[in-house]
Amino acid sequence: MTTLYIVLPLALIIAGAAVAAFIWVVRSGQLDDVDTPPRRILFDDDAT
Amino acid sequence: MTAIAPRAKPDCAHCGLPIPAGRDDQFCCTGCEIVYGAIAEHGLDRYYALRDQAAPARTTTRSYAELDDPAFDRVHVQHEGEVSRTALYLEDLRCTACVWLVEAAPQCVPGIVDVRVDIGRSRADVTWDPNTVELSQIARHLDRIGHAVHPYRGLDRDKQRRREDRALLVKLGVAGAAVGNLMLLAIALYAGMFGGMQRADATFFRWASMLVAVPALGFAATPFFKTALGALRSHRLHLDLPLSIGIIAGLAWGTANVVRGVGEIYFDSLAMLVFLLLVARWIVLRHQRRASSAAELLLALTPSRARRVTGEDVVEVPIEALVPGDRVRVLAGETIPVDGVIASGASAIDAGLLTGESRPVDVASGDRVHAGTVNMAGPLTIDVVAAGEATRVGKLVASIEAMSARKAPIERFVDRVAGRFVATVTAAAAITMIGWSFASIATGAENAMALLVVTCPCALALATPLAVTVALGRAARRGILVKGADALERLATPGTIFLDKTGTLTEGKLAVTSWRGDLDAAKLAASAEAGSNHPIARALRSYSEPAQPARDAREELGAGIAALVGTQRVLVGSPSWIRRRCTVRSSVEHWITELAQRGESPIAIAVDGQVVAVAGLSDPIRPDAAAAIRELEALGWDVQLLSGDDTRVVDRVGAALGVPPEACHGMVTPEDKLARVTGARAAGPVVMVGDGVNDAAAMAAATTSIAVSGAAEVAIEAADVYLREPSISAIADTARGGRETLRTIKRSLRFSLVYNLFAGLLAASGIIHPLMAALLMPLSSGAVLANSFRSRAFENKP
Repeated sequence: MTTLYIVLPLALIIAGAAVAAFIWVVRSGQLDDVDTPPRRILFDDDAT
Repeated sequence: MTAIAPRAKPDCAHCGLPIPAGRDDQFCCTGCEIVYGAIAEHGLDRYYALRDQAAPARTTTRSYAELDDPAFDRVHVQHEGEVSRTALYLEDLRCTACVWLVEAAPQCVPGIVDVRVDIGRSRADVTWDPNTVELSQIARHLDRIGHAVHPYRGLDRDKQRRREDRALLVKLGVAGAAVGNLMLLAIALYAGMFGGMQRADATFFRWASMLVAVPALGFAATPFFKTALGALRSHRLHLDLPLSIGIIAGLAWGTANVVRGVGEIYFDSLAMLVFLLLVARWIVLRHQRRASSAAELLLALTPSRARRVTGEDVVEVPIEALVPGDRVRVLAGETIPVDGVIASGASAIDAGLLTGESRPVDVASGDRVHAGTVNMAGPLTIDVVAAGEATRVGKLVASIEAMSARKAPIERFVDRVAGRFVATVTAAAAITMIGWSFASIATGAENAMALLVVTCPCALALATPLAVTVALGRAARRGILVKGADALERLATPGTIFLDKTGTLTEGKLAVTSWRGDLDAAKLAASAEAGSNHPIARALRSYSEPAQPARDAREELGAGIAALVGTQRVLVGSPSWIRRRCTVRSSVEHWITELAQRGESPIAIAVDGQVVAVAGLSDPIRPDAAAAIRELEALGWDVQLLSGDDTRVVDRVGAALGVPPEACHGMVTPEDKLARVTGARAAGPVVMVGDGVNDAAAMAAATTSIAVSGAAEVAIEAADVYLREPSISAIADTARGGRETLRTIKRSLRFSLVYNLFAGLLAASGIIHPLMAALLMPLSSGAVLANSFRSRAFENKP
């Protein structure tokens, strides 16, 4: 069980990193508009 | 006697609607034709494969020169090195195909760097190279593909909202991560409870839980703490108060137990609760944003530019650049951009937006005109009195926003329940504590805490706002703007419904509804009226195709028009005007009286000094009106017609709709309307549906009031519900939706009562356990959530 004392804090650090990434995503505005992107993926032609 | 039968034609190539008489090509209107041309020219035909709904295109032929004005540039445009950037509000952004078409703009107009569409806000962020292309050119392109352009107003409000949205989303993410990790830790602890776990390991897990839970939840739950504090300060009870007490008590007690090394912790259940509540808030916020952007749509009713007159010069400028004292010119057919006084010119104004009256008002120099009304006949020069948000329309939009933010009684009802809930739970906790203290004070505190944590007001805090929001959101998407949940609740119980005849049941627009005499004269009349913008002229033109171009058309405002069509001299006008110019046979006089008696306005057509035909013009009944009235009656409503119009007209409409004559009241003054509404209130709920100033008092007196599309300002302000689509069947939909929503809420509350009784009893008797709480709490929240989303309120009819 001693591995837990290493693995658990490690897991929490990774989780913290994920939260930090999420906060960055929100702050950078990627989630401001959630209505248009799901439509945009339908444009599969050369319109870039 | 009969209408001219339309020729069999294929449907419009762009929008698929039938092509009206008077057009020879494959399109229903010039708008569709221009748009189709623009799309084909740039090789963007894929649009037709992508789109999921077809609607007639509307284009304007504006120059958009005001967008190149330095004043606009200063206010709205950001410059970043070589490129400029601005936000535009686009009309008619409806579907995937629209997004695609607009975002393909860089391929069509060289110089556009990028266009990004936000369909929820009807907003397009445009980046362009000012050295290659001007903004007005870009706007003309967007206009040509069917999206009229306005400057995006309210950027500041958008920024503010974005800040709020992001802050909430961050909290949601933190709470979500906390839930996930706390669950993992809790599962280990629960498993260890059964499988045997070393005490040191358990302590380690408990400390880890605490280190995750306290900062994460302390941060994520701040919105609840803030509202609870605010409510405390103003001595009100708010749902967030019991929530905050539960969260803080749970966190504090858990922390104490971790430090002490004995006792239960409820971190996982608390985290789940906070997460679910935040999810609910986020959904509510998103729906609110939708509703308020619908209010912004009203603002788009006023034009974004005006022609400013300085001496002899006429320059197109943005509305923002206008100040009181400026002078603007408004051509026939244009919407008046400002509130002001006519300096010169005479015309007829369609003030339907403000007054709800379908008939145009004649105006002349010195008269006051308002932004949002339409100049129908001739050019006007107007001295600006108010522009932008200071106009009547601007104030109206502000009032709608304020109304939608108003807290609704059904939520107050929930707050009342919340008050009782707090009192009951606190009392139960105290009793539990005292009762168990006879055995041991520690056990008493333990059980009292457990009770505080597990009795959760999910149904109140989660299910009710969600049920209301889901209903309001669905309604708004169908063009039914409900200002506050209380209106929904009151519409749930049927009673008497009063319908105003003009504008509610009828189209609100003149059309030829009968024809007496020579049918060929219809073509001559249409030719003579070809150049006029008057509503009667439009009615005649949509009734028949013109024969050949007219010459020497002279229009006398409020009387008639005289023109030469081919070799024939054609007069079209009111009977009294015609009588002064031609001989009128007695059979024609008979037609005129007969039409007038039927409640139609007679318009005489004379050819070469002889009256050959009489057209009866009236406001036709909306096609869906009869079915909507049937539906309301089926829901248990007593439908009555109430109109200031002539009794004969009201009876005719009533007969056509199947409303019994005793329920049709004509020639009703505003005072009578008020009296009837007040009288009917004694018997039960009263709904007043109206659109004019004459209805406003009665609407305010009614239990619930509904304003229909095109209603007068005062009417909209007094109304609880505003129907954006000119469809009366929406009234029945609203009534049904209200009933459905209330049912959903009550179902949630009943369920929650059972859950809280059960959980409370378990906790008070000391047999609750964190594992049970972890299972019970999300189950109950999930159940009420599912119930809210399952609600069939405002869903499309099967």
